Amino acid sequence: MLNTLVTGLATGALYAVVAMVFNIMYSTSKVLSLTTGHMAMLGGVFGAYLITGVGLSAWVALPLAMLIGAGFGLLTEFLAIRRVLAQGDEHLWVLSTLALGTIVQHLMALWWGTEPKPFPRLISQDFSAGPWDQKYWLPIGLAALAASGLALFYRRTLLGRVFTAVAEDPFAARARGIAVERVRSMSFALAGILGALAGFAAGQLTFAFFALGMWLTLSGFIALAAGGLGSNLGALVGGVLLGLLSAFSTYFFGAEHQQSVSVGLLLLVLLVKPAGLFGKGIVRHV
Amino acid sequence: MQLIKRAVVATVIFLTGLTAQGQTASSEPIRIGWMASLTGPLATAAIGIDAGVRFAVEEINASNGINGRKIELMTRDTAGDPNKAATFAQQLIHADKAVFILGPVNSGEALATVPLVARTGTPNIVIGAVEELTDPKKYPRAFRAINTTTQWLTAADDYVVNSLKKKKIALVGDTTGYGTTSVRTATDEIAKARAAGAEVIMPWSAATGVLARLLNARGDAGWDAPVIGHPSLMALPIKQLLNKPSYWDNVYGAGYVSTSYDASGKLPERTQVLLDKIRPKLGGKDVDILFWWIALGYDAVKVAEHGMRSAGSTDPAAIQKALENTQNFKAVLSTLSYGPDKRDGFPDDNMAIDVANTFKDGSFKLAPR
Amino acid sequence: MNHSPIIAPQVAPASAILCSDSTAMNVRRSLTLRQWLGRAAPLLALVLPFLLGNEYQLHVLTLIGIYWVLVCGLNLVVGYAGQLSVGHVGLLAIGAYTLVILTGRAGVDPLVAMAVAGVLGGLCGFLLGLPALRLPGFYFAMATLAFSLIVTEQLVAHNTLTGGGAGMSAPMFGAPFDTPRGFYYLVALIGLLVTWLTWNIGRRMWGRGLIALRDSDVAAAAVGIPVFRLKLAAFTFSGVTAGVAGSLFASLQGYITPEAFLFELGMFFFICIIIGGRGNIIGPFAGTAVLTLLPEVAAPLAKLGNLLYGVLLLAAVLLIPKGIGSAVTAWTERRRERRHAPPIAPNLSRLAAAIHKPGEST
Repeated sequence: MLNTLVTGLATGALYAVVAMVFNIMYSTSKVLSLTTGHMAMLGGVFGAYLITGVGLSAWVALPLAMLIGAGFGLLTEFLAIRRVLAQGDEHLWVLSTLALGTIVQHLMALWWGTEPKPFPRLISQDFSAGPWDQKYWLPIGLAALAASGLALFYRRTLLGRVFTAVAEDPFAARARGIAVERVRSMSFALAGILGALAGFAAGQLTFAFFALGMWLTLSGFIALAAGGLGSNLGALVGGVLLGLLSAFSTYFFGAEHQQSVSVGLLLLVLLVKPAGLFGKGIVRHV
Repeated sequence: MQLIKRAVVATVIFLTGLTAQGQTASSEPIRIGWMASLTGPLATAAIGIDAGVRFAVEEINASNGINGRKIELMTRDTAGDPNKAATFAQQLIHADKAVFILGPVNSGEALATVPLVARTGTPNIVIGAVEELTDPKKYPRAFRAINTTTQWLTAADDYVVNSLKKKKIALVGDTTGYGTTSVRTATDEIAKARAAGAEVIMPWSAATGVLARLLNARGDAGWDAPVIGHPSLMALPIKQLLNKPSYWDNVYGAGYVSTSYDASGKLPERTQVLLDKIRPKLGGKDVDILFWWIALGYDAVKVAEHGMRSAGSTDPAAIQKALENTQNFKAVLSTLSYGPDKRDGFPDDNMAIDVANTFKDGSFKLAPR
Repeated sequence: MNHSPIIAPQVAPASAILCSDSTAMNVRRSLTLRQWLGRAAPLLALVLPFLLGNEYQLHVLTLIGIYWVLVCGLNLVVGYAGQLSVGHVGLLAIGAYTLVILTGRAGVDPLVAMAVAGVLGGLCGFLLGLPALRLPGFYFAMATLAFSLIVTEQLVAHNTLTGGGAGMSAPMFGAPFDTPRGFYYLVALIGLLVTWLTWNIGRRMWGRGLIALRDSDVAAAAVGIPVFRLKLAAFTFSGVTAGVAGSLFASLQGYITPEAFLFELGMFFFICIIIGGRGNIIGPFAGTAVLTLLPEVAAPLAKLGNLLYGVLLLAAVLLIPKGIGSAVTAWTERRRERRHAPPIAPNLSRLAAAIHKPGEST
């Protein structure tokens, strides 16, 4: 049972961070990029490659992986969001981000291979640690760090306040002299960094696998809906809830009903609170 | 002078015309359609089989093809999607005029394409192990080149009961089939199995991630119960995913006599021959994937070739008859025998159990009996 | 003049005042490309099988037709009402398995089973829409997504009924639909029927109401449009078409497994509408046709095919962001502008005289 709890927390933490990445991009562009999960995948794959393939130390590989994540985030913004938002129909970004995600996934399939590959041990630890193994606690630690870090960032730093301003009202922000497009690019870069970090931290749990992207995007999406769009606390709670529900439903009902139970319960949450647990009341322009 | 020149030109054109005609008739290629999930989540097997298929085709074409006609291999990547597989099957048969269909590799896709191909009357070499894929009455032109799942299960059960002398088996299946990549609570499955008094763990999943997690959970918990099951347990990627190499101890996989080293460390002759022939194409070093995949792909093409040679043509009915009358066809992975009511040609006596961590150059040592 | 404003913006009303009579008549008489296509399409659909070379092309055409039956109904929900439904693949699966189970286990005639599939699809659409449509946009998408995931998982779990992961085989329909060409005609007929239904809905108050609530549901409600009821009705209708499409889909494929109904297919239907352009019918149809044909075109590239598909999709989005339908309209508009002189021509001499008043310097 303890194992189930810890596994649930760990996968939940991963989902939570992915949901937070969604939030970062959503807040400045009102777009739910389907490339979110692929950012984590890239972090995991390149982390494994840089450490085991190229032989760099984890201390060097981590910032490099985050750089790659930032690059991918900027690429997403440039290719899939900018033009689409400027002229396209509503929801066209679903297509463009999906297409970009597919491209990245298949490039990885061709280069990295289609088998899950091992992610190296980051801290030396014996494997018999059971529920205290780092593969569980790295993602959990990261989720806690990310949530508090983002909260600090948004509230205490100038750049964070600029992000918040753009999120709340882009027109007013522009009127105050904020370069909204540049802020958007920066937020996508930040999202990429956090996404890659998530993939790196959870690498030992998921292995370095090219097909992780879609699954993580989906799970993060569900976690975000349950927790409430736009709220990082909601992302944290939603993710942990999804992870725990999945783990416990597998334990009690077998894996056959895993998705039905966990997703079904989250649907019930939405019925009670349509904007998610911590979702802000939607302000509608009339 | 002009007249002679004109006459020469006319003769040359006439003669080239004749020979060109002759060439087209006898050198029209034999189009074979090959469907495999080359970029799906379980692509490693498909890629290995694909290597064998391509090598066989090259070999046949290098020795003047089949009755002078070269084989044109048309590959389609189904990416694990049965819908794509169904449309590609249609495309290969109707638009690309394939006279033979090989595969698909994934059973999920094959379940969708085998009836479709059968409806068009095109011969089909089945590479999936699921029982329902062959049926002498419903799919008379579908011939299987691999063993069936029953054969795998029988071999594993036989080993557990008769050699390991154990009775309580924890069966671990993967209901999501090939698609999802979710992180299973392997630690709990192992704990539950152990608490229930299981003596042997038997996983039947082709997903190396799932299998590696099971082995890691077993090892981390310090449990030494033997693990026996799907051949993928013995694949090299598993070794890399294990926390400690010792976690691969006491692990057995369903394998084949033809890809196992005998007591003196030698492979059967036909296997060794193919291994030596194909090694340069694979990089010249030791083979680092399961060799039986390559052999399976090679055999699929060879069976098709045998059918067409014996029939003397690409007429589907003639090929069906020729294959029905095939007994003891000495392929590499096995010796196949079909019959008017028999479409599963893989012999039971080729089934074996191998020891996972004896992987060397694509093959294994037989498990002790 | 009975041109519906949904079909094409009209130049005629304004120009009628400023042009000579003959020009106005010209503009009014020439049909828009969309109307022309709308009238020619049924004819084309019926004649097409005889123009094709082989059965594979017929198979792909039938597949486009089946997808279109679903997308046409979904178009009301996504294209007109602007709701983000990405889980219709679940309703497709329900339709497919209804046919397979009723014909396989209960010996029901396929046409009857198809009718039941439609009803069941509508019922499930209704039951799903009832709670889900109250949720704001993104959460509604998540609800439909969750529905499709649950459906596929339950299909595997209840394997005595559904055959589990191994799936079940699907029958052909009875004569005269038991040949590929006959089946194509069945699909074409149903497709035309559904198109005609949605076109009528689109033109009349229902459709206008849907568009109104897409653009601003508060304003729509203020005008007296029963917003929730309209959304639910559209969603239920899309459930019926999805159920029917599902049963046709099962019969075409001949064998269905739960793997045929993954989330990606749900996204595919949604994308067909977005890439086609919202608010009209011909756009999503073009989108469906293009997106179904794209993988076939990329197929011979084997491993690189899927990569090419992603690249082409991205290129399509970047190059025609307003959707195929709008791209077509824009192109025909430009052609028409080139053919007809602009109705308002400045009267230069009068203008010059007004500027150069006597006594003032130039």
